[in-house]
Amino acid sequence: MDMAAPRETQSESPILRLQSVDKLFGDFVAVERVDLDIREGEFFTIVGPSGSGKTTLIRMLVGMDKPSGGDILLRGRRINDVPANKRPTCMVFQSLALFPHKSVGQNIEFPLKIRGVPPAERRERAEQLLRQLHLPLDYHRKPVGQCSGGEQQRVALARALAFDPEILFFDEPLSAIDYRLRKALEKELKDIHRETGKTFVYITHSLEEAMVMSDRIAIMRGGRIVQVGTPDEIYNRPRNRFVSEFMGEVNVIEVERAGERLRDTATGTELVGPHLPEGFRHGFLVVRPETFRFLDGAGGAATPNRLEGTLYNEYSLGSRLQYQVRVGASVFLVEKLREQRYLGQLDDRVTIGWDPAEAMLFEE
Amino acid sequence: MSAMSTSRPMKWLLAVWIGTVLVFLYLPMAAIALASFSRQRYFRFPIPRFDTRWYEDAFTSLSVRDLLWTSLTVAAIVTVISVVLAFLGALAFARYDWKGRSVYQKLLLLPIFFPQAVLGLALLLWYSALGIPTSWMTAVFAHLVWILPIATLVISIQVYGFNPAWEEAARDLGASRWQVFREVTLPILWPGIFSGALFSFLLSWGNFPLSLFTTGADSTIPEWLYSKMVSGYTPLVPTLGTLTVVGAALLLLGAYTVIMLVRRSRQARATAEG
Repeated sequence: MDMAAPRETQSESPILRLQSVDKLFGDFVAVERVDLDIREGEFFTIVGPSGSGKTTLIRMLVGMDKPSGGDILLRGRRINDVPANKRPTCMVFQSLALFPHKSVGQNIEFPLKIRGVPPAERRERAEQLLRQLHLPLDYHRKPVGQCSGGEQQRVALARALAFDPEILFFDEPLSAIDYRLRKALEKELKDIHRETGKTFVYITHSLEEAMVMSDRIAIMRGGRIVQVGTPDEIYNRPRNRFVSEFMGEVNVIEVERAGERLRDTATGTELVGPHLPEGFRHGFLVVRPETFRFLDGAGGAATPNRLEGTLYNEYSLGSRLQYQVRVGASVFLVEKLREQRYLGQLDDRVTIGWDPAEAMLFEE
Repeated sequence: MSAMSTSRPMKWLLAVWIGTVLVFLYLPMAAIALASFSRQRYFRFPIPRFDTRWYEDAFTSLSVRDLLWTSLTVAAIVTVISVVLAFLGALAFARYDWKGRSVYQKLLLLPIFFPQAVLGLALLLWYSALGIPTSWMTAVFAHLVWILPIATLVISIQVYGFNPAWEEAARDLGASRWQVFREVTLPILWPGIFSGALFSFLLSWGNFPLSLFTTGADSTIPEWLYSKMVSGYTPLVPTLGTLTVVGAALLLLGAYTVIMLVRRSRQARATAEG
């Protein structure tokens, strides 16, 4: 079910285009030759671990930092040197940056006040936004400090929407929120994206979060973009080991070439991989926990990839169960739906295996 | 349980202790206030007859008016200059990260470590070396040398709690630098600036050692009090002493009122417009 593709958002020219954008701090290269096209109306997420340069990148996109090289084009116009307050874009900050001396209403009305909108009109717009974000109308006069974390998120979003930006940026606004509320707000944010039809550019270190909300995702590492694609593409065809590991818990087996097959360098076991790239010598086989199967007796005889080990531990993940299987010095994670759970006991000798086509092979 | 049983005598002891401290701290001041209402020419206790004639004298005396005027002028000018400079200084101290910051932070505090009499003497030597005649104006400078670092520290405390993202967010939402300053920076730092001003005024108003060395022919109230105590006591001494304390207390009370009024008007504005 690919819902991202048929949106009306696939216009020809991108709303925001980055051409070989660099950012240096002294000798340190924070962002290196980043090329990106962000389409009108899409929910685009930049994902990367801390220190990957994603915050530096978004600061340049918003206008709080200037690129050291390259160009940022907004609807074809170069905006490298346009300061933040002159750009038709705005951002929801990681700390939210709600003004502590102003009420909820004054916060939301701030961009309108700056623009010189008359008070009555400002108030009307603020109340409209309060309604849209499911906040009670009497919050208008409430000090922001008295709002809960989730409410503050909504106020910050309302303030940004009051600005009516062409692109709305988000710098990890949900990172400090507890799990359940975060899950709810992720979906709410995606709903708001549909309602407003605006272009959202979101930054996070959580690929899981990106998957939930985004039309397209860019993965960043060490100041560079590693891969850009829809959530499906990123999940099914990660470009390298880093992207595949970023997705969540995976099993990585270091392998070398052994004729047309592969050899596990740790145990010497021969394995069958997916098709081998030209000139492949050494690399990593990545197997997702859910692609492992427990092989018992005749049923598993046809599976070419088998590892024999001990069932060391079991973890419950709610609807799924995870098993830790130890094979020699290596540890593997196997994941099963609850109804397909393994029926033996801890310390059982087990054989696990996987279909060669379901593993991913990377040279780096 | 055990805390309960020990707390009763402890509470009594604490109450007695606090009471004693308060009495010893404030009784002398009360004595001065009492002395100012005495009819007697000489400082004697207990006071045989009460009178307000010294207050009448103080309010009609031209020299007292001069003293008040000098003290007030010095303190007012010191406050204005010190608030402006200390505000900028506090931003450099606590807000911005720059190359010489740690050196600046240490240098700034240096004058506080000088005994004020030493500082006053040093400044006096400088003035005469440079050929600057001493007057209340040179005292303004001397006060600033000592008060500015303190005001900077007071405001810095507020600046440390300032999230730079507030300014960035305001700017991102379209505000010009001036609008950011007026709408965000100033109102958030306002309490710190206000207490910095209050400190500056009170420290200058009550300063004696720096004034003694640097006012030249002019005289502030603390200087006058000292010189009259040393030679030629008059009952105007406790009178004027009481007046300065009352003046300082009124200033604090006024400041508190201003804070409450601003807070209330902000709330009212929040209710009305936003």
